[in-house]
Amino acid sequence: MNKKGMMIGVIVVAIIAGIVASVSSSPTETVNLDMGRTHGTIITAMGSPILGNPDAPITIVEFGDYQCHQCYNWFHNTKPAIEQQYIETGKVNLVFVDLAFLGKDSPIAAQASYCAEDQKMYWEYHDLLYTSQESKIDNGWANSERLKAFAFSLGLDMDLFESCLDSGKYSKRVSFNTQQAKEHGVRGTPGFFIVNSDGQQQISGAQPFSVFKQILDPMI
Amino acid sequence: MIHTIKLVFSNSKYLVLSLIIFVVMMIGLLIMSEYIFLEPYVVSHIPSGTELGFVLIVIISALSALVLPMNIFRINILKSSKQKMGGGIFGSIIGAAAGACSCGPIGFAVISTFGSVGATATAFLTNYEIPIRIVAIAILTITYFTTVKSLKDECNINS
Repeated sequence: MNKKGMMIGVIVVAIIAGIVASVSSSPTETVNLDMGRTHGTIITAMGSPILGNPDAPITIVEFGDYQCHQCYNWFHNTKPAIEQQYIETGKVNLVFVDLAFLGKDSPIAAQASYCAEDQKMYWEYHDLLYTSQESKIDNGWANSERLKAFAFSLGLDMDLFESCLDSGKYSKRVSFNTQQAKEHGVRGTPGFFIVNSDGQQQISGAQPFSVFKQILDPMI
Repeated sequence: MIHTIKLVFSNSKYLVLSLIIFVVMMIGLLIMSEYIFLEPYVVSHIPSGTELGFVLIVIISALSALVLPMNIFRINILKSSKQKMGGGIFGSIIGAAAGACSCGPIGFAVISTFGSVGATATAFLTNYEIPIRIVAIAILTITYFTTVKSLKDECNINS
């Protein structure tokens, strides 16, 4: 009876701890712990945490490369308006999935973003990479040392981050994501899928906000 | 110089050819460089920070549309050698290749097909997009002046 009581106590404490943890985390950033997560036909389990309301009826799945200048253009010219009008209002959420193909530093940068996710700083790190992107591919701006410097500037635990990055802990995760992109016919970055309960629509390239608005508005 | 241009483009065939080269080259390059999208809607935009790239594409298209018909005129009408045609074609091609790869479908196809060699070539064309386009403009400009000079000499045009 005592054992049973203890077991029930442990389960109750675990549930309470889970609820407290989920409430105390940022409302716009969740750590991706759902290994069965899919959006439409895309397996996004190995992608980023969800940006925005996890229960939003529409999801934008972005396939991107941290060294791609068109992804940089989309990040700076289109994404802010989407965030403001759709993500922050809870109508849409966004998942980033890597298509790291442009240079030798691309997969390492993608792995680094997941090392930041370990410390619940995925989106901060993602944003910092796209803010810091330089116009030349593989010129060293996204090499291992610079990626560690970015982590340091965000105040991440450097021992954890360095051991994660140096071990290549997330190399298979990035390869899986790149494979997902290829299987879904993504032939360049950025590539998008707008997914809702009725299906999914593909958009190729760093298209302007007006295109996303034309697709999203009828879905809402 | 104006006399030479008039001489070539007074023939409507060369004027039409020039217009076709300009339109096809400009629209093609604007699509490849993602200034124009055809799907899901036809839309064009110039993202901030990419204005210079747009202007260089327009200049390359305009120079190609000027230089290539003039050289074809030389070859057809004057039965001149095809040697000087090379500069115009070369300038047009390298101007078109610059930045066309990058992270779009062409770059993806090149990297997927040729692996690390393709990635290196793509990175080079992307990293030096603006300088390569400026070099292309320089080649086309030089070709233009040599063509005008050649036409003046061969047709005995004064001034």
